[in-house]
Amino acid sequence: MTTIQAALSGILLGGLYALMAAGVSVTWGVLRIINLAHFGMILLGAYLTFELATAWRVNPLVTLVVSVPAMFVLGGALQWAFDYLRVSELNSLLITFGLLIVVVQSVSNVWSADFQRMAAEVNPYATESVRVGRFVFPVPTLLAFAIALLVILGAHLVLRRTFIGRALRAYAEDRPIAAAFGIDHRRIGVLLAAVTGATAAVAGMLFSLANALTPATAFEWFGTVFAVVILGGIGHLVGTLAAGVLVGLLSSVVSVVLSPATAPFVLFSAIVLALILRPQGLFTVGATR
Amino acid sequence: MLEIRQLDAFYGDAQALWGVTMDVHDGETVAVLGTNGAGKSTLVNAVAGLHAKRSGRISVGGRDVAALPAHKVCEYGVAVVPEGRRVFPGMSVYDNLCLGAYRRTARAEYRKGLDRVHDIFPRLRQRTGQLAGSLSGGEQQMLAIGRALMAKPTLLLLDEPSLGLAPVMTDEVFEAIEAVNAQGVSVLLVEQDVDRALEAASRGYLLAEGRVAGAGTSAELRASDTVQRSVLGI
Repeated sequence: MTTIQAALSGILLGGLYALMAAGVSVTWGVLRIINLAHFGMILLGAYLTFELATAWRVNPLVTLVVSVPAMFVLGGALQWAFDYLRVSELNSLLITFGLLIVVVQSVSNVWSADFQRMAAEVNPYATESVRVGRFVFPVPTLLAFAIALLVILGAHLVLRRTFIGRALRAYAEDRPIAAAFGIDHRRIGVLLAAVTGATAAVAGMLFSLANALTPATAFEWFGTVFAVVILGGIGHLVGTLAAGVLVGLLSSVVSVVLSPATAPFVLFSAIVLALILRPQGLFTVGATR
Repeated sequence: MLEIRQLDAFYGDAQALWGVTMDVHDGETVAVLGTNGAGKSTLVNAVAGLHAKRSGRISVGGRDVAALPAHKVCEYGVAVVPEGRRVFPGMSVYDNLCLGAYRRTARAEYRKGLDRVHDIFPRLRQRTGQLAGSLSGGEQQMLAIGRALMAKPTLLLLDEPSLGLAPVMTDEVFEAIEAVNAQGVSVLLVEQDVDRALEAASRGYLLAEGRVAGAGTSAELRASDTVQRSVLGI
């Protein structure tokens, strides 16, 4: 019984992992930028939601009106700078790690390093849950899963069906030829990074609904989210979603059946295995990116 | 349509073209002949903007494009069928074709463009959902040409379209090139297969070691000793 409950909760939790991972995965796959600052943007998004909800009594969902445009601009501006400075894939890892540390420190300075949680009266979702039979699902987790699903599937459709989506995929596959067909790398790069930043704001808001915030959380996301990125296949949105759900499921079930301390061990062992057996990602077909 | 004056261009850091001057008039097909390493691909890439390092004058329809990046050159109606086809292997045939119509003036009429390409290459219609990487070499070449046509070009640059194709496929590809030219598109055709190139073109240039070593009508070039010696290595 508890195992099934843990499995279902894990699947729901996986949606948020997938949303966090989607941005990292797509910028890596298309722009060849491994953007660790993405975690900083998720953190900023979470604290913006916390601040606006606490100080201005704004509904946490409505705080997106501020945090999404803010992270959209920040994400785009960062990519513009990376492009201007011709940052390579490996250097992007170093630079964005530095940026992440700067963000985490700044957040500590502004909001302190203590755990902080939105008060119950400003976060109407925190204490509510939905009961289905004998299973209980907290509303923040359900919301996170539903919104993550919508964002990822929406982005997937845009990549598949629109001119700008095809341009991004073509750019990922062959940059010079994409340019020869009119694709301006700077414009689509900045646009993609800006949209990615916006998803970070959404992920941050969703995280803050259910969790207490502390700046160091950004580093905790690292392992799990990178696991999702690698398992899903770099640049693959649907794979990322599936991998997020799988990782959530696995760590949640192992926590209950064995112990919470064993969960990372099992998770990363599974990743090592997956990398040996299917280095291109679990859910990718053939050699496509 | 295309005027190249005193073009110097580089392949990496090494200079590959020296003072090249040539013209393609409106509606013409012009062949560029030469051996491997004569600078033919560098010429195509220099016009398309795929080589950053180039100097001289390249004007397309009266506008100088020599300093422009590839995505701007594309806006002036230049489409390229690159050496080795370079289709996007992980994208479907349909998506490859639609990508060709990315530039603003082509995008609005991409459905018309699809019909036009499918008329020329019916085989692409049958393959529409298939990944481009899974096509045969000949089909990929058709796709590469189709993709370029989707851009509604006024000038089409073709780099070695017969490379690696079976003779039957080559026939089909050259028929298509002539059909495209008949619709008024100017064509610059870089090709090692001298006979086929001169058959499709009305005029041609001979490149040797990065310089123009000869020019003339197809008949003149066919009869020329220099061409025979230089290209066939006799």
